Amino acid sequence: MANFDHDVVIIGSGASGGMAAYVLAQAGVKCLLLEAGPAVDFTRHRTLKAVYDLPYRGFGEPGRFPHITQASEFDANLWIDEKKNPYTHPENDPYYWVRIRLVGGKTLRWGRASWRLSDYEFKCKDHDGWGENWPISLADLAPFYDRVEPLIRVAGRNEGWAQMPDGKLLADESIDSLSIQRFNASAKKLGVPTTKPRRATGTLASSVNLLLPVAQATGNLTIVPNAIVRELGVDPKTGLVNAVHYVDRRSKREYSVPAKVLLLGASTLESTRLLLNSKSRQYPAGLANASGVLGRYLFDQFYVKNTVTAIVPEARGGKGPRNLMGGAGYVPRFTNLKPGKPEKNYLRGWAWDFGSGGTPSPELFPQWGEELAKTMADVQGAGFGMTTMGESLPRFEHRITIHPTLKDEWGIPAPHIEQRYTENEHNMAKDAMETGIALCEGAGFEVLSAHSQMVPPGESIHELGTCRMGADPKKSVLNGYNQAHDVRNLFVLDGSAFPSGGVQNPTLTIMALTMRACEYLLEQKKQGRI
Amino acid sequence: MNRRRLLQTLAASPALLPAQQINPSPDENAVLQLASPDAAGQPVRRFFTPVQFATLAALAERIAPSIGGRPGAKEAEAAGFLDFLLASSPRSRQSLYQRGLDTLDRAARAKHQKGFAELAGADADALLAPLKTKWTYAMPADPQAAFLRAAKADIIRATTNSRAVADANAAGRRRATGLNPYWHVID
Repeated sequence: MANFDHDVVIIGSGASGGMAAYVLAQAGVKCLLLEAGPAVDFTRHRTLKAVYDLPYRGFGEPGRFPHITQASEFDANLWIDEKKNPYTHPENDPYYWVRIRLVGGKTLRWGRASWRLSDYEFKCKDHDGWGENWPISLADLAPFYDRVEPLIRVAGRNEGWAQMPDGKLLADESIDSLSIQRFNASAKKLGVPTTKPRRATGTLASSVNLLLPVAQATGNLTIVPNAIVRELGVDPKTGLVNAVHYVDRRSKREYSVPAKVLLLGASTLESTRLLLNSKSRQYPAGLANASGVLGRYLFDQFYVKNTVTAIVPEARGGKGPRNLMGGAGYVPRFTNLKPGKPEKNYLRGWAWDFGSGGTPSPELFPQWGEELAKTMADVQGAGFGMTTMGESLPRFEHRITIHPTLKDEWGIPAPHIEQRYTENEHNMAKDAMETGIALCEGAGFEVLSAHSQMVPPGESIHELGTCRMGADPKKSVLNGYNQAHDVRNLFVLDGSAFPSGGVQNPTLTIMALTMRACEYLLEQKKQGRI
Repeated sequence: MNRRRLLQTLAASPALLPAQQINPSPDENAVLQLASPDAAGQPVRRFFTPVQFATLAALAERIAPSIGGRPGAKEAEAAGFLDFLLASSPRSRQSLYQRGLDTLDRAARAKHQKGFAELAGADADALLAPLKTKWTYAMPADPQAAFLRAAKADIIRATTNSRAVADANAAGRRRATGLNPYWHVID
């Protein structure tokens, strides 16, 4: 027998949906959470296997994942089935849409890097004149960052940098290896700041162990897995969301559930796809789209994987001291920090993750046979690598639309996604490569390879925008509390709300924004406004 | 293999007891020793022609030879595995391999009047010269260089990830390699 005794419906169970449940259930709000995928049982679904026991020796089933380069043969069953969940992109502009549909969403696999955004992002237009400011500032979000960081146990080192605000961190006071110290010294000479990585810690740092169990322990959270939401219903009299229509993933049976308040956290592109698919007399261009910008201003952070790969010469042949190799670090954005005209041939900036102690790929050596085997033995553990993460600019023409005919396995219209990197991102990537070479050479490392080839848009899994917040309802979909300008009982909580993104990994900010939006919702309910 | 593999499997199994000495357990959770398909039978080739396969096997031995008693591509049956992998790979990948192997064999016959698989080491290596080109992120424009680069990576991976190499590592008391959490279908 269906139970309609809930105050809010939450769609999605990852960083935003999980945090919404965490905040609201603890405040006594009855939550119904719909998740498109099944729940993971770590005991039953996971086992240890040797790579030679896999059918494809670790290569993976050919053609299974045309766009998900992160999927390995070990974890292939965690990622979405691209055949059942199709989408399109322009033929010459590939877009890699990387998805997980499981209870916990992508927090089951995220990289955990947790950096705050700064006012260089929140007030980006004030700084360099491009794009739009957020309707909030760091001061508005800082109290929520302060609470999320301890919750997900972020470790790192505070540096007092304006572009990378300090946090409530578990202090990382570990001593850097000698190779990291040399790199840091080389960076310092060129005025490039370096710091420790800043990451959520623990065996698992996911919605499924940190957020949802706490919410469920209150007795106020019902989680329904395998519920793929097709469309949101609207009350023709009030224009408010009043129903959620979903399909059971396994049986394909259709269901509807009433909604007093809707919190949408299905992930950036899925949330916008759902709003675009929810057309009605009041909202013929998609729900909450009076501005016409729903679906537009898609962006992400571009990645250049292994921008520079180098060898630490003293580590060849395993001859270096024990503390020579190992460890990792981070370079925050450091370009174009002065207001006004940019000092570089691009706007904004980029960051690096770097690490010491890996073994470079045999592909990088122009050898084979015994000669290659000797080389690989010589450079084992002697590698130093860096990956570039750059800010890409949100542009009006970069967008998600609904494909006119293509549908997924459940008959739901599929998206068409258009994003490409422009001269600004290419110039950034080239500068990052050249700077990386200089820093490695300055540290006395042998540069083995360097390139500035960005992975296709989407592959960083940091897709953002398309349902952006803003102060002006004519140019944005949401207000500063993630609430739709047009539909006051609709909140969109995931990365789609971002008007800009910087170089920082977005999950921490998604969680902080969600916490803030949910507390605003509680206040609005208390005042009888929702 | 499979005599060696079978002997390894038998050696790793508990001593066999006469049937009458085994006490059947009422427990449902009895653990049986199981073997993989390639421990029992010889894989059937289904993609490369005999000449292409011989060329690939010879190339694999040049790329990843057995060194110091450690298994190489031959012991890892890398060529046989790649025949299986390529059979279900995208058409563009299949063509890259077919054209690359044909080109390699044709070059051998033109220069030495015998197939690549029959060449001595130095003569074979001379035909792999495109692999000496400095690495670039983009695949080489020359199709033969692109094929050799792809084949080199695949051969090394198929060898490294093989049972033969894992067994050798275990015998040498190296740390077990390639053991990772595997996720079953979640439904």
